[in-house]
Amino acid sequence: MCAESMLTRILIVEDEQHIADGLRFNLEAEGYEAVVARDGEQALELLLKERRAFEVVVLDVMLPGKDGFTVATELRAAGQFVPILMLTARGRPEDVLRGFESGADDYLPKPFELAILMARLKGLERRRRWNERDVETPGTTQETYSFEGRTLDFSAMEVRAHGKSYRLTQMECDLLRYLVRNAGRAISRGTLLEEVWGLHESTDTRAIDNFIVRLRRYLEDRPASPKILLTVRGVGYKFVAPEPVKP
Amino acid sequence: MTRRQKAIAFFVVLCVLLVIAALLLNISWVITNAGQITPIIIGVVLFGLIIAGLIVYTVFLVLEIKRNEEHDSFINAVTHELKTPIASIRLYLETLQSRDVSEQRRREFYDIMLADAERLHRTVDQVLKAGVVRERPKAVIRGPVDVGALTDECVGLAIVRHHLHSGAIELDAPRDRALVVSGDAEELRTVVSNLLDNAVKYSGNIVQVTVSVAAPAPDTVWIRVQDRGIGIPKKQLKRIFNRFYRVQARGLRNIKGTGLGLYIVRSIARAHGGRVFVQSEGEGRGATFTLELPRLITQ
Repeated sequence: MCAESMLTRILIVEDEQHIADGLRFNLEAEGYEAVVARDGEQALELLLKERRAFEVVVLDVMLPGKDGFTVATELRAAGQFVPILMLTARGRPEDVLRGFESGADDYLPKPFELAILMARLKGLERRRRWNERDVETPGTTQETYSFEGRTLDFSAMEVRAHGKSYRLTQMECDLLRYLVRNAGRAISRGTLLEEVWGLHESTDTRAIDNFIVRLRRYLEDRPASPKILLTVRGVGYKFVAPEPVKP
Repeated sequence: MTRRQKAIAFFVVLCVLLVIAALLLNISWVITNAGQITPIIIGVVLFGLIIAGLIVYTVFLVLEIKRNEEHDSFINAVTHELKTPIASIRLYLETLQSRDVSEQRRREFYDIMLADAERLHRTVDQVLKAGVVRERPKAVIRGPVDVGALTDECVGLAIVRHHLHSGAIELDAPRDRALVVSGDAEELRTVVSNLLDNAVKYSGNIVQVTVSVAAPAPDTVWIRVQDRGIGIPKKQLKRIFNRFYRVQARGLRNIKGTGLGLYIVRSIARAHGGRVFVQSEGEGRGATFTLELPRLITQ
């Protein structure tokens, strides 16, 4: 494994000055380079001007002007896929769900444990590096799966279907990959939350359902009556493998 | 359309349909009983009651849904106001616990944590106070209070609390005589402090607040807090004293609060037999809050 030649740069988007300063102090102590943006507009400007300027973003939700959900949505819409960790006082299940839907890769409610935050940031950063390596050396792993005119490309994080391509978020990609690898087995929502996203069980398990609804749109001819991503009543979900077409 | 707007639309439509159904039934009742006066009169009256009931029911339902919405945004604001300082204090404590921090930094961290503890305390206080003024609106421990001295004290406190220079809040009070009201000094201090906090909070970058204490009539005392801040849109002037209500305007989006401050002010003013009112020429033109209390004539 090669050592990082440059400092990892982290953008902190936070309007509460005390928290922003405390985070910056800790990130710098860990050897990161940290930059603070005070509101959503400033964050968007920094992240869209130079796309590779930051390796990870810590994003607050309740910001003046554009809130964190909007910022994440706009970044993803503009094709900026930098890993985002949402850090916010809003910890209700619907807020967590909305965070992931708007394109966040991880979600941590305030007040948070410093060590956990650091570990999660390291995780995001590590995953980003792995992904980059996958892209650099394609073919080293079986990262595509094709069936009935559709191709799931996990390394490029997209689904290609009948000439159209859908971009997957990191979380969608991980979920789909897990289901495909365990094709034919019914997997509980709790297992998916824990194994795929590393969330603990107390998280609202319905969070998964919305992701499945979205994945069905990419995978199914008729999302309302699914044939591939099946709901297993009382358990969770099952990926039913159609005859795969070898790429 | 939000979920609540949809709910409101649904119940209004349902009400209209039910009223139409009741009217149709009423008409057919009249037709089937044509010529018989007593059943027709009883029928019309009863149908009328049903219709009136439906309308009253729907109005209450819609009001309740709206109140619910305000309550939700209050919960959001309070959650944020409670969790943010806790998160900050915890972050700094963990930092002090797990890292080598220079002596100077350590002191900075203590100051930050103290400020956060104070912010937390103010929020908790406000929520508790709002509960008290709602449950026991008339419970005032009365005694003579010199409002000039009390206001002076609050101004000094506000200057320290908001780190302002001494001229940022000017006090204009008669020096030669004391203006005395009958009331609870602690409660009145809360009122004046809330008004001052708002004036500073909604002033923008340059804080320039004038506070005056005066007797416009022999039996009345005014405490007036005037700022040159972002002002209040005319349409919302009436509602700002409502519980959980927060002004909606473009310049306000980064000002945080619970929507309880002015509700507490109004409740305490009323419990003292007084009132509070506001004047503002609109957005960007500042606001003037006046607390009017009955004066206690001392011999």
